[in-house]
Amino acid sequence: MRTRILAALGAVTIIMAVESMAPIPVAAQAVSGTKSFNPTVIDTEVAIKAAAEAAKTAAAATANWTPPRTAWGDPDLRGYWLSLSYTPLERPAELAGKPLYTEQEAFAAFRKAVETDAEVDPRTVHYDWKEYGMDAWQSPVRPNLRTSLIVDPPDGRIPALTPEAQKRQAAAAAAARARNPQTGVQTLGNLYTRCITGNQGPPRLPFNHDSESQILQTPGYVVMLMQANGDVRIIPLDGRPHLPQNVGQWLGDARGHWEGNTLVVETTNFHPERNWRGSTDGLKLIERFTLVDPKTIRYEFTVDDPTTWTRPWSAESPLPRIEPPLYEWACHEQNYGLMNVVKGAQAREAEARR
Amino acid sequence: MNIRVRGVMIAVAALWLAATPAKGQAPSAGFPAYTPPRTADGKPNLNGIWQALTTANWDIQAHGAQPGPHPELMGAWGAGPGGQSIVEGGEIPYRPEALAKKKQNLETRMAAKVTNDPHRYDSGEPELQCYRPGVPRANYMPFPFQIFQTPGEILIVYEYKGASRTIYMDPHREPPTDSWMGWSNGHWEGDTLVVDVTGFNDHTWFDRAGNFHSDALHVVERYTPISPYHIKYEATIEDPNVFTRPWKISFPLYRRVEENVQLVEFNCVPFVEELMYGPVGLYKPPSR
Repeated sequence: MRTRILAALGAVTIIMAVESMAPIPVAAQAVSGTKSFNPTVIDTEVAIKAAAEAAKTAAAATANWTPPRTAWGDPDLRGYWLSLSYTPLERPAELAGKPLYTEQEAFAAFRKAVETDAEVDPRTVHYDWKEYGMDAWQSPVRPNLRTSLIVDPPDGRIPALTPEAQKRQAAAAAAARARNPQTGVQTLGNLYTRCITGNQGPPRLPFNHDSESQILQTPGYVVMLMQANGDVRIIPLDGRPHLPQNVGQWLGDARGHWEGNTLVVETTNFHPERNWRGSTDGLKLIERFTLVDPKTIRYEFTVDDPTTWTRPWSAESPLPRIEPPLYEWACHEQNYGLMNVVKGAQAREAEARR
Repeated sequence: MNIRVRGVMIAVAALWLAATPAKGQAPSAGFPAYTPPRTADGKPNLNGIWQALTTANWDIQAHGAQPGPHPELMGAWGAGPGGQSIVEGGEIPYRPEALAKKKQNLETRMAAKVTNDPHRYDSGEPELQCYRPGVPRANYMPFPFQIFQTPGEILIVYEYKGASRTIYMDPHREPPTDSWMGWSNGHWEGDTLVVDVTGFNDHTWFDRAGNFHSDALHVVERYTPISPYHIKYEATIEDPNVFTRPWKISFPLYRRVEENVQLVEFNCVPFVEELMYGPVGLYKPPSR
């Protein structure tokens, strides 16, 4: 048995994914859900078209489809799901007033995004994403008609900050300047690079690596296991109250219930230092998970924090099904990357002072 | 380790175990015969929140109460409770050189040093640094854990660090690489869940006392429900690099029965940043 020497956090994710897949074809995990995948195809357009056709065929086949249930009668969301998209969270300014692409425009936007994603600058990166089957067009992500993940407000943009939140952010920025040029784990790192939480919130926003997840169900519970950081969310369905308000958790405190075929999860009790997009521990998150076809969960969320945003806002993103399993993500245990980043920054600062 | 070699060793271990009469304090002693309730697929239902009530996390062998490493700061908070052994027969069959290493581990258990290479694992107790605890230690840390049982997979989520492990029931899967929590494949023997755990790295310890293993560690766990509120937990530990023969631990797991009981997050990473990164000058407390 070998000890893995993982040089940097960025490298960790790639090496993990590649080496972990050694016993199975490299492409198997990335392309699950799309049997049309052919690893010898290296032409982006051909690949996207084949996948789009396969998706259409699948959609037609499930036109009169009844979502499955578990043995105990709950809607069945079990499986492995990917949170990845090439649709921006906020609608770009040049697309103002245009919430939806035509099919042709969506195809073109997707193609542009995946080709950009597959491009590698040899000065900064010493591998080719395509070589490892990790560029997006090999994944089950498909073109999206939406021009932004945000569906409400209708302009597809995050609502304005409240005056209180603006003051908070200005104070935080001033504090950061005051600390300069001191650099440390807590001033340079974020929750993800410090291995405190992964890249999947909650709420879940698409992330371009290691955004796989698993949903398990037992009577009375839904469990969501994230690949990134091994984050686990245990969601009781029995209607119990939330933990007392003073109990803060980095992943919040989740409670779920079913509305028809949709799992609705309400999460509160976020840790006061979590600071998700400038929000406070008053953040309330509502998420909705609906299996819309055998290979896709429609994921919707609404965030509300009256001390941060002038109104609640909502986004929507598909989670395509992928193949099992997930792997252990011992992030903090071998967090060499954070040290290297901080040391590098310190060296640059020392140089600047000379 | 070569799979074939491991297979032979497993067979040898099985023979050894079969020839050894069970001794020690079986936690089921005195319990009447019990037939556990079933899941939808007819298996014994282990779902629930469970917790060990031993002091094995301090030392899996018998030990007296001890002051903490910094009594001048921590007073009685840092002290460790005394407790009885969870090791069958009391003794761990270390190879001589391994016993020396165990003693050295104990001496250097507070020496957490953080490097950007695997030398960071040379000393310092893993729990001190908020590392994943490995198996079987995860099951006797002083934190609850929750079992989620499905026909194909059983997920165990530990409150400590939010660490989790999947036990593959059907299909079984081969460990793709070494890991902290190991790789678990399970099957049922009557009402007992038997879990074969391999694929460990050599970075975890069994306790704060320095008891350790190599990456050849192989653990076979047995979870047997003996009442609605108790599981008899047994584990056979085999590691020819460190021990002269397989050995066994056992203790009961207790069901947590409080109303609305749930795991409360214990994300210890922020708690160890100053300890781990401070000495190399990486920590600057933010002004709050």
